[in-house]
Amino acid sequence: MSSISGLVAVLLTVLQWAGRGLPSPVRPICDPRVLDRFIMEARDTETALRGCKAGCGVTGTFVVPLTNVDFVVLETKDTEEQALEVQSGLFLFGQALGAVRESVSRAAVKSLIDNNKSNIHSLGQVLRSLHIKDLSLSPAPAVGDSATRKVSSLSELLRVHTNFLRGKVRLLLTNAPACQQNST
Amino acid sequence: KKMTNDNLNKLLVFCVLFCAQKTSIVHGAQALETKVTLLLHAEPENPKCFAEGMSDLTCFWEEDEERAGFTDQYSFIYTYQNENSSECSITALPAAGGKRLYFCRLSQTQLFVPLDIRVFRDDLLIHNRSLFIELVFLLDPPANLTLTSTGTQGQLKASWLPPSLKYMGDSMMYEVSYTMAGSHIGKVEEVQASSELILRGLQSGTKYKVRIRVKLDGISYSGYWSTWTDPVLMETMPGDLDPLIVSLSLIISLVLTLLSLLVLMSHRRFLLKKIWPIIPTPESKFQGLFKVYGGDFQEWLGHSTGGLWLRPAYFYSEEFPAPLEVLSEVSLGPALPSSALPPKASETLGEEDEDEKLKRVDSALMERWRETPQEHWPMDQLRAIHQHPAPWTQSSLLESHDAYVTLNAQNHSGEEPLDDILEETLPLQVLFASGRTSSESRSDLGSFQQSSGLGRLSSQSSFEYPNHTWPPKGPGYTYMAVADSGVSMDYSPMSSSKIDDIGKGVIYTNEYKNEIPAHRRPIGTPIHFAF
Repeated sequence: MSSISGLVAVLLTVLQWAGRGLPSPVRPICDPRVLDRFIMEARDTETALRGCKAGCGVTGTFVVPLTNVDFVVLETKDTEEQALEVQSGLFLFGQALGAVRESVSRAAVKSLIDNNKSNIHSLGQVLRSLHIKDLSLSPAPAVGDSATRKVSSLSELLRVHTNFLRGKVRLLLTNAPACQQNST
Repeated sequence: KKMTNDNLNKLLVFCVLFCAQKTSIVHGAQALETKVTLLLHAEPENPKCFAEGMSDLTCFWEEDEERAGFTDQYSFIYTYQNENSSECSITALPAAGGKRLYFCRLSQTQLFVPLDIRVFRDDLLIHNRSLFIELVFLLDPPANLTLTSTGTQGQLKASWLPPSLKYMGDSMMYEVSYTMAGSHIGKVEEVQASSELILRGLQSGTKYKVRIRVKLDGISYSGYWSTWTDPVLMETMPGDLDPLIVSLSLIISLVLTLLSLLVLMSHRRFLLKKIWPIIPTPESKFQGLFKVYGGDFQEWLGHSTGGLWLRPAYFYSEEFPAPLEVLSEVSLGPALPSSALPPKASETLGEEDEDEKLKRVDSALMERWRETPQEHWPMDQLRAIHQHPAPWTQSSLLESHDAYVTLNAQNHSGEEPLDDILEETLPLQVLFASGRTSSESRSDLGSFQQSSGLGRLSSQSSFEYPNHTWPPKGPGYTYMAVADSGVSMDYSPMSSSKIDDIGKGVIYTNEYKNEIPAHRRPIGTPIHFAF
């Protein structure tokens, strides 16, 4: 009996270990059009919910990352630092959009929010393909508060979300070493 | 000295740099001017701002010269999100049309974050604008636009150098405009994130004018269309014949050539006759004339065995045909058929045999002689006529110099047919010649009496009666009068009065044909006609 349970335990451990260390996709996703689609969908969501009365019933404050990019400063940062910023930011946006989904009642709004959430998840996959550690799932805050700020409306949240994708995320993907090797 | 040299060197370097900078400044100023002009039309908001690179921003606004203040009257305040405000220094430049431009230039910028701009004039807010810098790019047009041939008909390849912005290469969008040289209608093609484009569907052998402008695609970055580059001209490849058309036309021409050759060959002889007619030669008509006798026609005639139907008048011109009048006696007895006139025998003198001369005596005459075995009847007739000289002497016949020969058929016993006598044994001499003297003629002439065989034929010449004392013998008779005018002979049948008395006798006139007797013509030889 104990031998059998021991065997099962070992098997589960092995499987868990295998499951945790999911192999990253072989081919790096360097096509900028992938991110461009996410950006456009985020922009469409922002535009669609800009005229939402009373913030579409969304209240509360959300912690969002900073979106500003200084190229001069960017030159000094390496890819890992950038990756850290991007992933923590994506995490924050995931959290915020999840909270927004809970507050809204209209189905159309809910579907838009769901779409953006799935896009964020897909971005994590893209980063993983570029051999960038995906920290979005991990709850550990990678960056400090200085890199964040608070927003109080849905439209602001969506705007920041769009800007974040356009700026930092894109730059990271463009400068990813995996993609630099392939590009001529 | 060394110090002086160093100073001079420094001065020289400074001068070079200054000059270079001046050139670039001038060039930059020109570029700025065009951009300003472009933005004045493209951007409605104030201040008008544009980014040329990754870390700069240029803002400006326009004011009328008369209302313009000093630069220190204005303040340009800009604020990034979640940051403190900053101020930008203002410069003023004169512009065309009595305007003044105020510029503010930032050398360090933050993208993907809202930027607030406020312009104050004497603490009065005149302009307020919030923008994203990454959305106001106004790039320089692409450089080094070149056109090359792709090697294919109706194609040109355009290549250029993209603006050198590090992170934005894949976000750039280009617009290529190409028109035929001299035409105003052009086509535009867009291409993204590329540095070359193949223009298709162009006309062969035509010059094309191509230009290009650039803009960011609008997803991450955006901005205004750049100015057009200077146009570049290039001629497309000359038109070439479609190989299918060439081969088909070759085949068709080959087929047509073969057909025409066949037609020509089938009508070869006809065409040859038309183009190169054969010169006719008379050799076929005159056998042996050219080959044997060398063209000597006289000789050839003499030796010619071929029967030639010739009129004697052509070939015997020296000898004139002389008519022979054969008079026959018409009896006054009953049932006298009118005398058949013996046909005149035109005979040639000399060359023909006597045997032939009586061949043409009419058979009717012979019959009649059988019927009327009277002797001397022609002469009797003549005598009778002479007794009545009036009609006779009035006859033109005796007045002429023509001679007459009479044939007297004598009675003979025996039943030998007269035709034997006549045909074979009764030659008759032709003794006429117009224009001769009677004495002459008499010597030539002679009456002769010939009798051979059973029958006897006596003849008398009119010349024996020179004084027109031709005694008519016997009853009336018919005769043919000959009038020889020297040019032509006139034959006319006449009859004596006796015959008229007898009754209307039918005068038979027989056609006489000048014919060479058939026996002389060898059998089988065709008669050739001279032409």
